[in-house]
Amino acid sequence: MKDLKHLIFFEDLLQNADNALIRQAQSEGRVCVAYVCENTPEPLLNLPGAFSARLRAPRTGSMEMATYYMTSFLCEYSRALLERAIEGGYNFADAIITPDGCSMMNRCVENMELLKTMGKDKEHFFYEYMEIPMKADDNGLALYVLQCRNHILKPLHEHYGIDVSDEAIRAAVKEHNRICELIRAIGEFRKGPQPRITGYEFAVLTLCSYVCPKDLILDKLEETLEELKTREPDEKNAYRARVLLVGSEIDDTDFIKLVEDSGAYVCADRFCYGSLPGRDPIELNDEEDALTQICRIYMNRGQCPRYMNTEKMNARRAYVDKLAKEYEADGIIYEQMKFCDPWAYEKMLGSHILRDDFGYPVLAVDRPYSIASSGQMRTRVQAFVESVEIKKIQGGARHE
Amino acid sequence: MMKTCLKLLGKLALAALAFFVVTFTVYFFNLDMKATALLAPWLEKWYDHLEHNQYL
Amino acid sequence: MNKIRGDIHYGNLYKDGAVVRKRREWRGLTDTLYDYSRWLGIMAILAKFIIKPRNIKAMLRYRWMANYLAVPMMVDRHTQGLRGEYLRICHTEQDLIIDDVAKLLDNLFRGDRRIGNDTEFSKKVVLVDENEMTAVMMGFPTLKGLSRETPSTYVSVLLNQHAAVHYIDVAQQFGLAGDVCPMPEAEAGVSIDDDAPILGACAVQCNTTCDGSLLSNGVISRRLENVDGIPVFQLAAPLRHREDDVQEYAAQEIRNAIEFIEKHTGEKWDWAHYFECARRVNYATRCRLEWLEMNKTPYPQVFGSNLALYTETNYMAICGKIPAFEKADRKISQLAQRAYEKKKMAAREYRHRAIIWGVQSHFYMDFLVWLLNCWGIVPLTDMLSMVSTRELVTEDTPENREQAYYDMAWLTENMIMRNRTHGGYKVLLDELWEFTQEFNADMVILWEHMSCKALDGMHGMFEERARQLGIHLVWVSHDLFDPRIISRQGVRDQINNYMRTVMQEEPVDPTLEILHDEESW
Repeated sequence: MKDLKHLIFFEDLLQNADNALIRQAQSEGRVCVAYVCENTPEPLLNLPGAFSARLRAPRTGSMEMATYYMTSFLCEYSRALLERAIEGGYNFADAIITPDGCSMMNRCVENMELLKTMGKDKEHFFYEYMEIPMKADDNGLALYVLQCRNHILKPLHEHYGIDVSDEAIRAAVKEHNRICELIRAIGEFRKGPQPRITGYEFAVLTLCSYVCPKDLILDKLEETLEELKTREPDEKNAYRARVLLVGSEIDDTDFIKLVEDSGAYVCADRFCYGSLPGRDPIELNDEEDALTQICRIYMNRGQCPRYMNTEKMNARRAYVDKLAKEYEADGIIYEQMKFCDPWAYEKMLGSHILRDDFGYPVLAVDRPYSIASSGQMRTRVQAFVESVEIKKIQGGARHE
Repeated sequence: MMKTCLKLLGKLALAALAFFVVTFTVYFFNLDMKATALLAPWLEKWYDHLEHNQYL
Repeated sequence: MNKIRGDIHYGNLYKDGAVVRKRREWRGLTDTLYDYSRWLGIMAILAKFIIKPRNIKAMLRYRWMANYLAVPMMVDRHTQGLRGEYLRICHTEQDLIIDDVAKLLDNLFRGDRRIGNDTEFSKKVVLVDENEMTAVMMGFPTLKGLSRETPSTYVSVLLNQHAAVHYIDVAQQFGLAGDVCPMPEAEAGVSIDDDAPILGACAVQCNTTCDGSLLSNGVISRRLENVDGIPVFQLAAPLRHREDDVQEYAAQEIRNAIEFIEKHTGEKWDWAHYFECARRVNYATRCRLEWLEMNKTPYPQVFGSNLALYTETNYMAICGKIPAFEKADRKISQLAQRAYEKKKMAAREYRHRAIIWGVQSHFYMDFLVWLLNCWGIVPLTDMLSMVSTRELVTEDTPENREQAYYDMAWLTENMIMRNRTHGGYKVLLDELWEFTQEFNADMVILWEHMSCKALDGMHGMFEERARQLGIHLVWVSHDLFDPRIISRQGVRDQINNYMRTVMQEEPVDPTLEILHDEESW
């Protein structure tokens, strides 16, 4: 396929956490609110005058300092973030808000605070930690709303004078939805026998929507959508199988590239930083306050394994099944970042259940934060692709 | 009557002494644990032979 | 040096590579006869248990039951070197715990569909987590809150260091990563291996202690609900438990859990019984505080594993529900007071006063005894004993009934270990140094449970603070339930090396420095 016109522009934005668009937005006087977990409702960080930047540590090399502070047993994402923070890589942030989503991320941000890694020369800088529900129910919702009010809206207003009214939240949701609709519309081109966008390209665009001020990439995304409508897919499909990628945090687009280079087209992305369900638009009604509605939507759609009630656990696997059907996946890759406790369990359960109860071919892998060119991973994906192909030839890829 | 009582008491005392000697020997020389240590490998083998419905 | 009657070189009682010891300890005539009489008592408890055919059946059905053969040895390990009041305190605790666990096992097998299959009894059983405060059972006097994980994994590993290995391997065979905490991993393994008793009207799980525990519950509840048909309630205890804005959520979770239990058992919450239990919890708290106060003086009395193991049991599993523990609290306090007045010492020599922090190696719970006997390091208190000291309301009034939900929530949030490993760095990091000062400690023994991410995540900050404050910080790494990763001697070596190289000291009892107890229970 012909290269996407803005792909290099988007790829460039992913080279550093402190990208050009963040600097541009801050030069316009906007407040950059950093965050590290998908359970932080994004629109609340994107109120007029503020914008969100989800932290990542691109081109991570040594993590020695972070390993000293947190040992080698913590997941590499948390260590990579701390390392980058110690190096001064997040000095651009004006605040950081984190839920106690998992122990490791909590410790990562706590170390950032204790080591005074951020907020130098920023008079109004703040760290906020918030409790988030572990079950999707009325009680959980009440907690979520209260926590967002106390640990997001209140400090943003008090430190930076951000308007946190219902109107402001609704305006933020509207803008959030524009991005979501664009990403989802672009994602639609992954369907069908001859997709017009690769999983890698899509991951780049989606990732940018998490780490850049959203309004500053809107025009390029709109152009990309238009471009895709007429983009000619390759005559011969280079991929031998379509896979749904499920699992923990992935902000390393090289991992998607590696999977695709091994013959598996990543047709859907159900992972933190992915678009499913992270880029589902948030539909608000006029009867109830916006904050409560946002929290309910985040709580109900959240796919994080920390949600522990039975309905939510079952729903996680049903959602994977639904996506696999919708995106016509031949197989599922369950991945977890090494040392991630929540996904270690979810990967074990999910991979067994999706294989045994739903009949999908499933590959379960663990991976480091930055995979670059792992021969082992390539071999495993290639072997999986071959097994899926064989099943397809035998006419029994799935028994429904 | 008195004689029978004394005899009975004597027997009881003897039994108590025998009980003490035997149990104290077992206690002090850790014979209870030594005996169960012999039983443990046999139990291990037994458990290994049991059928289990392993299920996730 | 303090005079100790009887044996003083405890390493001589070990036989290299053996499962059990050569003989029991000679403690002088009085203490040996006392220990012997307690041994007889334990044998009677075990005999009473095993005489029932259903318990023999259970012994032959469940692999983890074999560990209970080692009960007397567990007591020996924890009483090593103890004399007088200390020996009596230890027996008061251990014998009661043994009796309580025997009753727990008996009840589990009575209701177990595979063993006793007493269906009427089973309807009165609520399964509870091992890692869970049992506060929600304080108002259900007619129900039995039974934990399957406590006897199958928790107590088993106390009895036999290798007890969890089989179940850890089963979980990993099913694809679970090897770096998760082996405790919930083993509990998941028991469930996967179909090695847990099946009984109960319903189950209440909890997210305490950690991410691993929360997720492992998902494995267990799947089997409970899908295969065994036992409904499960997941009780969520907030992580940031010191914050005011989570307390309403926590209290509502308690209300919901009680409602769930009422629905599935047909029983009603009994406030009078709740307040009675709350009164006992308060009494236990006051006793614990009294012991801790003594431990701040040069003559600590209830410390080491005498404090740790008993607090874990009494605080979390008992939670005021069993009157016998109140009696034990009273007796321990009397013994401690008596020894304190006489300025008694539990070992030949006290060289260092240490705070034990972090998560203890479960397969080596008697390490604290070794620490004292081998190096004269006095374990004044441990992280798991530094739990809630808040008094609960005990008078039955409408306002207090409302407050009681918050009290139960507070207890649940402040379950042992998680009240320190979760809730922000203040409770784990900052308060350690406050305790160090309060207890006048010159040393911190920091258990580094390598798979405990919440603890590992503060590694560097612990070191930096210790350096700033000039406190000796000794790291002791281990993998909680799995002695294959770091053995007991591996644990001891970390202390030995520090004491010899940094402190330049010789051991109080050199025979304990190196023990070949890899095969031991």
